[in-house]
Amino acid sequence: MLPYLTKAVSNLFHKPSTEQFPTGDPPKAAEGYRGRLSYDPEKCVNCGMCIRVCAPQCMERTIEKLENGDQKITFTFDMTSCTFCSMCADFCARHAITLTDDYMIVGTKPEDFLVTGSFVKKAPPPKPKLTPEQIAEMKAKAEAAKKAKAEAAAKAAAAADNG
Amino acid sequence: MFEKLIDNSMEKSPWIFHINAGSCNGCDIELVSVLTPRYDAERLGFKLTGTPRQADIVVVSGPITVQTRDRLVRTLAQVPEPRVVVSLGSCPRSGNVFKGSYAIDGPLEKYTHVDVSVGGCTPKPEAIMAALVQAAQILAEKRKEMRK
Repeated sequence: MLPYLTKAVSNLFHKPSTEQFPTGDPPKAAEGYRGRLSYDPEKCVNCGMCIRVCAPQCMERTIEKLENGDQKITFTFDMTSCTFCSMCADFCARHAITLTDDYMIVGTKPEDFLVTGSFVKKAPPPKPKLTPEQIAEMKAKAEAAKKAKAEAAAKAAAAADNG
Repeated sequence: MFEKLIDNSMEKSPWIFHINAGSCNGCDIELVSVLTPRYDAERLGFKLTGTPRQADIVVVSGPITVQTRDRLVRTLAQVPEPRVVVSLGSCPRSGNVFKGSYAIDGPLEKYTHVDVSVGGCTPKPEAIMAALVQAAQILAEKRKEMRK
């Protein structure tokens, strides 16, 4: 009887075990918790591996052609479609996707749940334009090289016959 | 005369009704854990009720399977206005990993308006608590609108 009584009395002076969340700050998530996804477009190389491994298909990639030939690539991650399996983060070669410990994914509009990021993929530099004379010159050079090779081969063959 | 008193009291005790529309039970367990002493939503007046006719806030979990679809619509029709619909977890909004299945007929927006959504698979009890608090605020606003 006495142990219970002492526990009961000591509990009177303890804080309640209830978390005081809606009034206070939300507690920190456990270590390794997989919460809201974060995407760094600076690191992304647009390999598309995350889209391939995502089971609920929560990602959307839009490729927009810009006027100067560049491509504007936008990734959109829908947090109401995500299973938080971390496959995309594991397969991301450049570690552009990470899962943060932010678990407060609460909202009233669909936009509250979207994680987006976009980057511009530069077009390769244009090839140098050649004049017809340059092309003719290059062709002649190639032909001469071919001829020299054939002659060398014939000489070698003749030497082998003689020997 | 008593209208104000009733309004104030109603604001402080929003009752929850939980509909499982084919959920995997993960979200359901987390919702129940919100009512346990550790998180204790009942100190804010939330109470799980057994009938939709007494509910103010409807919490829907699961990706709306074909089997539960008609029952979901019927149950939602029994909830009196003003009602607030909370979608719990990723499933009701998108179908999650069950997306594209022949047994799924979602999302929840097809059948009713969704006021508050909680993302996560499953959401943490704190996130559910935040959503319920937000839902209670929306409910109070809706009730005021109806009074006008």
